[in-house]
Amino acid sequence: MEVMTSSIYPDFALPAVVVNTIVDAEAETARDAEVEELSATDVPWVVIVWNDPVNLMSYVSYVFQSYFGYSEARANKLMLEVHRQGKSAVASGTREKAERDTVAMHSFGLWATYQKADQA
Amino acid sequence: MAKAFRNTRKGITGELEAAERDLIRRLFEDIISMLEREGIADEDPLAAMVGLDSKAVKPEDSALLRLLPDAVKNDDGEALEFRRLTERSLREDKVAALRASSLLLEQSHVQLTAEQARLFARAVNDVRLVLADRLKIETDEDAQALHGIDDWSQAEDLDTYLALVYNFMTWLQETLMQALLDGLGRPGSVS
Repeated sequence: MEVMTSSIYPDFALPAVVVNTIVDAEAETARDAEVEELSATDVPWVVIVWNDPVNLMSYVSYVFQSYFGYSEARANKLMLEVHRQGKSAVASGTREKAERDTVAMHSFGLWATYQKADQA
Repeated sequence: MAKAFRNTRKGITGELEAAERDLIRRLFEDIISMLEREGIADEDPLAAMVGLDSKAVKPEDSALLRLLPDAVKNDDGEALEFRRLTERSLREDKVAALRASSLLLEQSHVQLTAEQARLFARAVNDVRLVLADRLKIETDEDAQALHGIDDWSQAEDLDTYLALVYNFMTWLQETLMQALLDGLGRPGSVS
């Protein structure tokens, strides 16, 4: 480890901090904006992403954009919700979709759970 | 010397010295052995084929639990049942990403497709999750407190060393994410 001197980090600059996430499953169609228009009775299961101090904001936003297909604006809104409020329901839909999305979030290292929407 | 990842016409490119690549590969190996060490208790070949593990239990190691978290809150029974249906696949998925990422570090000049960059970001993130657990980073303030640690000549104890490694991996991932985000929605670029 003696090789690890500070001189090898010329480009090293710390990023703006870190978020964490958890995801809730929302509608089967929750590809983008319409999620919010769905009422609890339409949306039986949600994926919740929980905040943590490790996941980078940029990473969480990228995961929301690339996995759920959300716009940058929507992904950032959800990411900031997670960061500031401790959690955010990021997707909804059938139980099967919520479970699938939750595992996907775990594969990215985000902390997610699924639950019935009326218990969110 | 490490150079930040950038989104270029040839893909997502960065530079990592041999010592840096060795370090990252060792970290990937560590996470792989964590994910594999507890083993798969259920060796029923049919169960293995479909990714089931009827003997899976919630990990006692907090770092491993962070990699393989409960998918259900406030219902241990439901969480365990879901774990038995899905954890094996999740472990294998993570190990595959870590292995593939190791293979991307053969040369100083690292050139990645978007898909490779995504795998690499996941692998780096899993390393950071484990390091953060070892460093007991539990709040944003804990994380902030470590950001100033960047002098490798001060790496005299394990915690300082881990913090330096954590900050390096954080920097690496942040540059990778900026490169990937650059590509999203930009026609013709890698995303």
